Amino acid sequence: MAAVLSHPIWRRLAAVPPAYWVFALLLLTLWIARPNMLNPNVLGIFVRQVVPLGILVLGQLLVMRVRSIDLSGGGVILLINYIITSRTFPEASGLTFIAMALAIGGVVGLLNGYMVAKRRVSAVIVTLAVSIILVGLVQFLSSGKPPGDVPKYMNEFFDIKYGPLPLPVLFWLGCTGLMWLVMQHSVYGRYVEAVGESAEAAAFSGVPVERTVVLAHMLAGLIAAVAALVQTGSIAVGSVRVGLDLPILAVAATILGGVVFGRGEGGVWGPFFGVLSFALLFVVMTVFGIDDAGKLIAQGLIILMAAILYGARAKRG
Amino acid sequence: MTQWFKSGFSARRSRQGLWGVPMVIAVVLAVVLAFGTDQFATRENLFNLIAQAMPLLIAAIGQLFVILVGGLDLSVGSVISFSTAILSLDGPAAVLIPAVFVLAGLVGLINGLVITRLNVHPIIATLAMQYILLGITRILRPVSGGTVPDIVIAAVQGSMLGVPLPLFWGLIAAGLAAKVLYGSRFGLHLFGIGGGVAAGMEEAARTYGIRVGRNIVLAYVACALFAALAGAFLAGRIVSGDPNVGLLFELDAITAAAIGGTQLSGGVGSLHGTVLGAIVLALLANGMNLANVSPFVQTAIKGGLLLAIVGLQSRKKMGL
Repeated sequence: MAAVLSHPIWRRLAAVPPAYWVFALLLLTLWIARPNMLNPNVLGIFVRQVVPLGILVLGQLLVMRVRSIDLSGGGVILLINYIITSRTFPEASGLTFIAMALAIGGVVGLLNGYMVAKRRVSAVIVTLAVSIILVGLVQFLSSGKPPGDVPKYMNEFFDIKYGPLPLPVLFWLGCTGLMWLVMQHSVYGRYVEAVGESAEAAAFSGVPVERTVVLAHMLAGLIAAVAALVQTGSIAVGSVRVGLDLPILAVAATILGGVVFGRGEGGVWGPFFGVLSFALLFVVMTVFGIDDAGKLIAQGLIILMAAILYGARAKRG
Repeated sequence: MTQWFKSGFSARRSRQGLWGVPMVIAVVLAVVLAFGTDQFATRENLFNLIAQAMPLLIAAIGQLFVILVGGLDLSVGSVISFSTAILSLDGPAAVLIPAVFVLAGLVGLINGLVITRLNVHPIIATLAMQYILLGITRILRPVSGGTVPDIVIAAVQGSMLGVPLPLFWGLIAAGLAAKVLYGSRFGLHLFGIGGGVAAGMEEAARTYGIRVGRNIVLAYVACALFAALAGAFLAGRIVSGDPNVGLLFELDAITAAAIGGTQLSGGVGSLHGTVLGAIVLALLANGMNLANVSPFVQTAIKGGLLLAIVGLQSRKKMGL
């Protein structure tokens, strides 16, 4: 067994983030069970649904690579969705909404980053507490009732298609590409990698560790704001529950993509395929008539398997 | 004694954490409520307060075990829901009640083994467990319903010599935890392991001959067992099984432990602090209910309190 495991071919294969395996497996399953589902138009619609998650993942992978976590995305999405749909600002144009969303995301991210990096508070606790506060605030403002309609132009943007490719999917691809550039070719990307490997060693090498972490959280907040705008465009009526499970799913997709706390072999495209896997997973489970309970179990098992695969490798390497 | 008392107010010197702050908050809250409102100091309200506080108290004590070793258990809420679902199945009490604890122990065992043997981060391992257990619970009991064995209901809703029985649940849980944490080798080792983890020296405890992996697994088992106890209590209170009753309970449990001065990096924390933390949360909820504060604002205030209190406790480690 050990000989098989240490064989170069196996090691090469095991280095591929689990997301690619899961994605290929699900695609194969779908191809065998329902070949007619595999046309670009149908898949485009399914993939379009996970774009908010896909964008949120970009922030999550950034903070996870500096050994932190951001669970406040749900609160940010909820608050921005509420502001846009509640007509609190009836005069506001699309650009004003975008500015407001980015301001909210930036401030929340800055607060997270300050608390995590400067005050050294547990990131799980900080971002959860921030999320709890934001959710409570929105539910209080709306008295728990759904706010109002999403402005028409936002839905129209979301529905634009170029051939089989929906605009949100292209936007997601663009964002992911941008993130890839930042991680791969910028000084900041190097800093992130260094802090993730070892914050202590990075500090001794002159990397501004605290600033790197604060900036990571702030970027994650801004990215959550972008995800919120896309999410709002994807629904017709505002809701007080929208996006609450997204941060947890984002963590799951990131791990599936081969990025775990402090380590990032999966890069940016691993988590990208992690999100695509979740999109396919929902399709496959719907095709096979698996109910909500089964979906929860399958999600849990997938997170667990991905983490075990990575955990086992971390120990060997 | 005075030394020990002073240490409760200093985040730097104490291994017990900043437990003096929640104590002051609890006393102030109780005094304000007693003098500020007519309803607080009534028999019904105090009975109610105790019954509301107990499941949180019990779950928070369980959470303390894993936080002490630098872990975190996000599956607590799902274990609670799962326990109520098991108890509401058809069957004799003599089978159902042991089954709840055996199954919860198994859940804790799996959590612990996945974390220690398979080297998975506690947040991820227990998150996955949460999903799986929620799924199983929904299969067992898709919507709330069923009946709970009479003995469980009687043990929760009755009173003895004018003292409500729920108080005994809390006393038994706290007594058990005190014995384990402060009166056994296992408890001492938990503090030892956590102290090393918090200082960035995971190997420290091992070099002193502590069996790190085994103790961490046992901490997760203990956490799940306390969660099951909280679940049994809740089942007796709502008299049925409910797949959603434990929703977000793990967060309240973590909040209580954190308010009580337990540091999430491990090694620092205390049982009395955690109990005080749970009491603060219960008093806060009770007081705001009496003052007719919207439940949504209550949620926000709880989050703000958590943020403020953990902000007071500086530590060396950055990140999770």
